[in-house]
Amino acid sequence: MEPRWKGKGFKAKALAEPMSKIVSQLQSSLIQSDAHGLLTGCTVLIAVKPEQTDLLDRACFGKRIVTAEKDNDWFQLGLEEAFYLCFSLKCLKVVGDDKCPKNDVELWQCMISRKPNFPDFYKAYSHLRMKNWVVKSGLNYGVDFVAYRHHPSLVHSEYAVLVLSEGEDEGNGRLRLWSDLHCTTRVSGSVVKTLLVLRITKNGNDVASPSCLEKYTVVERTIRKWHPEQCREDNMTGENRTKQQEALGKASLKTKFTQKHDVKLKPGLVGIERGIGLVSISLVFALISFIVSRWFWSN
Amino acid sequence: MEAVDWENSSGVSSDTEEYLQDTKYEDDEELHFTSGFISKLQFRKDKSRAHWINEMGMAEVVENKGKLWRTMGVVRSGKIYYSIEETLFLMEIGALLLLDDNGTSLSLNDIYAKVSGGSWELFEVYRHLKSLGYIVGRHGIAWSIKGAKSNCQSVSLQCSPQSSEVVNLESEDESSIVGSFNNMHINEARPVFDVYLPDSKFRKSSPGDPSFVICLTRGDLPSIADIEVLERQCGAIPLRFCHVEYGRVSFFSFNEEELPILP
Repeated sequence: MEPRWKGKGFKAKALAEPMSKIVSQLQSSLIQSDAHGLLTGCTVLIAVKPEQTDLLDRACFGKRIVTAEKDNDWFQLGLEEAFYLCFSLKCLKVVGDDKCPKNDVELWQCMISRKPNFPDFYKAYSHLRMKNWVVKSGLNYGVDFVAYRHHPSLVHSEYAVLVLSEGEDEGNGRLRLWSDLHCTTRVSGSVVKTLLVLRITKNGNDVASPSCLEKYTVVERTIRKWHPEQCREDNMTGENRTKQQEALGKASLKTKFTQKHDVKLKPGLVGIERGIGLVSISLVFALISFIVSRWFWSN
Repeated sequence: MEAVDWENSSGVSSDTEEYLQDTKYEDDEELHFTSGFISKLQFRKDKSRAHWINEMGMAEVVENKGKLWRTMGVVRSGKIYYSIEETLFLMEIGALLLLDDNGTSLSLNDIYAKVSGGSWELFEVYRHLKSLGYIVGRHGIAWSIKGAKSNCQSVSLQCSPQSSEVVNLESEDESSIVGSFNNMHINEARPVFDVYLPDSKFRKSSPGDPSFVICLTRGDLPSIADIEVLERQCGAIPLRFCHVEYGRVSFFSFNEEELPILP
């Protein structure tokens, strides 16, 4: 599927200012201001200056909280987003109730205590973010994440992402029944996204510290519904396509009446049989018109 | 002759919306395509004749009419044999007169009764794709083998033309494919059909590589491990996993696809 840009020139705009550059600018700005976030529940709250608000928006991290405060803008970050800024980009420090910044391992364990699947989800999130895709929550679409090629204002998201942990495809997992698959592909499909399944393998590593993350592997698989009707059309040569289109044109003109008079012609006798066929069809039409006009006049 | 709307018999309804030509929406399979290129297979007047061989679970062609045989049936020592799904298909469209050992003609009822175990679902998949014009053959069974023994009870099926090993057709075909299909563990996926794009130049003597291999699971979705095994088995040929329920046949692909690294 080709990316669906939301307007003319948006593709060029995205190329002119790649996401990697925006994220990098955000990173520098947050480091400079020694940004701190507050972990509460499954959210990290962060107060930022106006220029950082702009960068957070453009890099698609977090959600702005509208407050009456004039000096600061407040943002709320999801667990994966916050951890990415903290651990991968090293531009954010996160504090808890004790007001002390947590180190990587402490923060990692906090995240896991709030979300047991956090290691796999974070691996999936960071995997895509590091490829410079924009990753947002997929809750609206019944999936884990949605991935955009650039800012959502410029482009529609292409992928609906499901995170599959180890052992999850063996029977107790997310896509277990055929109806699960039909459901997810149908929902994704109706909003024109491809279902992307990221299978995370821990390779025997534990979850004690985030340093194990680099030893996890990610395999990307797309799950698509295959339409044999479409596929056959796509693969037809130009000549065949024209022939089929002619046939289609004729077929759409056919009425139930004329179908009965379809004569299967043998190649050798085309001339004569076609002549007879044409004559009989015109006679039939003449008959119909006669009957119809009689009915019409009698009414 | 009346044209038959095979879309209806395959379970896809015809009262659908217009096909959106410029956007490929991954939408309800009932949308589009019915206003597109429907393969209108017509009921045949000229029937081919075949002899149903119970021990083999196949029909041996006695007399051929029409052109369907070019993309159906396997050739063994000059004779054509139709599998149960091919036989059923031809019987349904009235293109085949099937006779038993006594020369009595078999009805559709009789042949439906011969469908065993998981064969009905196999047949539905076969019929769905065949009606769309694809060329469909059983996976792993050669379309044509020359120079084999002419004894119909032990026609070689799996061996290459060079090998002199003779394998009983029945054990190779009916039991091994359908039988092992029935013995499969739940969730084990197996390749069942090789599918070729519609092609008037198709030749059984040199079919080439199929465009797709259709896999069927016994129960629910294939596991990723299963998919990986099948991908290794089938090499570069794309796989399509098939699900049949309530007369609806749907296909999915589970391709490995790496997202590009963006600028």
